[in-house]
Amino acid sequence: MNHRHLLPNEIDLLVDGEAGFGVAPLRAHVAECDDCRARLDDARIVVDALEALPHFAPDSRLADRVMAQVPVFVPAHVAARDSVFRWLPQSAPARLAAGIMGTSIAGALTVLLVWLASRGETVMFATGLLSDRFQGMVADTARTLALSLLGESAVATLQATGALGVTLLVLGFLGAALGTVFGLRRLATASARRA
Amino acid sequence: MPLALDLANLPDADVVALALEGREAAHRELIRRYERPVFSLIFRMVRDRELAEDLTQDSFIKVLSHLDRYRSEFKFSSWLFKISNNVAIDHLRRRQLDTVSMDGSPHATTPDAVMASTIELSDSSESALEEMEAKELGSAIEQAIAKLRPEYRSCILLRHVEGRSYEEIASTLDLPLGTVKTYIHRARHELRRALEHTRE
Repeated sequence: MNHRHLLPNEIDLLVDGEAGFGVAPLRAHVAECDDCRARLDDARIVVDALEALPHFAPDSRLADRVMAQVPVFVPAHVAARDSVFRWLPQSAPARLAAGIMGTSIAGALTVLLVWLASRGETVMFATGLLSDRFQGMVADTARTLALSLLGESAVATLQATGALGVTLLVLGFLGAALGTVFGLRRLATASARRA
Repeated sequence: MPLALDLANLPDADVVALALEGREAAHRELIRRYERPVFSLIFRMVRDRELAEDLTQDSFIKVLSHLDRYRSEFKFSSWLFKISNNVAIDHLRRRQLDTVSMDGSPHATTPDAVMASTIELSDSSESALEEMEAKELGSAIEQAIAKLRPEYRSCILLRHVEGRSYEEIASTLDLPLGTVKTYIHRARHELRRALEHTRE
């Protein structure tokens, strides 16, 4: 028998249930030494008592109280992803159908774009034609509107002065509008004070 | 779809990831999982139920408000216990509890030095409130734990009540592994002495 009694840290190794090369001789010593076995038993009583300690329950409203003070933000990418998920069908077959339809539309659009790109000149010609028509339509509408609002002589004067005349007209209109708004506000404030 | 997941069956890391996506249910799941261990740790540290409720609430607010600082290579529970323990220790320091003088000098490096600087409390000096708390905490071991230095208390509770390894405790409390082993050894020694006294 080894007559050296176990050191406190060796007792701890046994209490912690360590398994290693150096532990076997310690166990053998405890098996033969009443004094060390008693010390080990005492240490185990403490550990067993500690491990039997229960958890306490806090107030049942703890989660509500915590969440009332924790700001919960949904990041933009998550919100966007959730929106997409919300639009997707719930069942797997419906999702598959939606996927096939989406892929088909995307494929058709891609083919159309490729076709248009391969006919660049045609597209340019069609775009120019449409643009000219649109500009002409806007100019005609503006002229008709100006004639009915301002009269023929005023429109003739505007045409004679060109861009400068149009700019002055627009600025005059904005000035009059702002003046009216401010005037009305002052009137409203004054009447409110009197009341 | 993430919203339809059964949170109770997910590992902590996944629940944290969902909480970071702004899911309130994930925040609540983390509270549900750890409210009892955290409350128990803090209650045994401060020995006052109402105060422990407040400090537990503070700990969870700190953790859940700063989830973005959580590093996933560590266990979530270790991070939570670290913050909870710090909240409890900070409170004890602020309150300048009598335990500072009762539990011996924090600079004592050997068990004898700690004993020499410890002031024993006589039973008659315990207030009615302390007696009531002791009753609620129950057994002699609870009362013995309450008389340990706060550092020892954290270590022994994490080791034997929460079942943490020495390495986890060292990481949780930011202490060297050797110091954790020493604290646990001393705590066991003091508890053994206290229980011997009770049995006599």
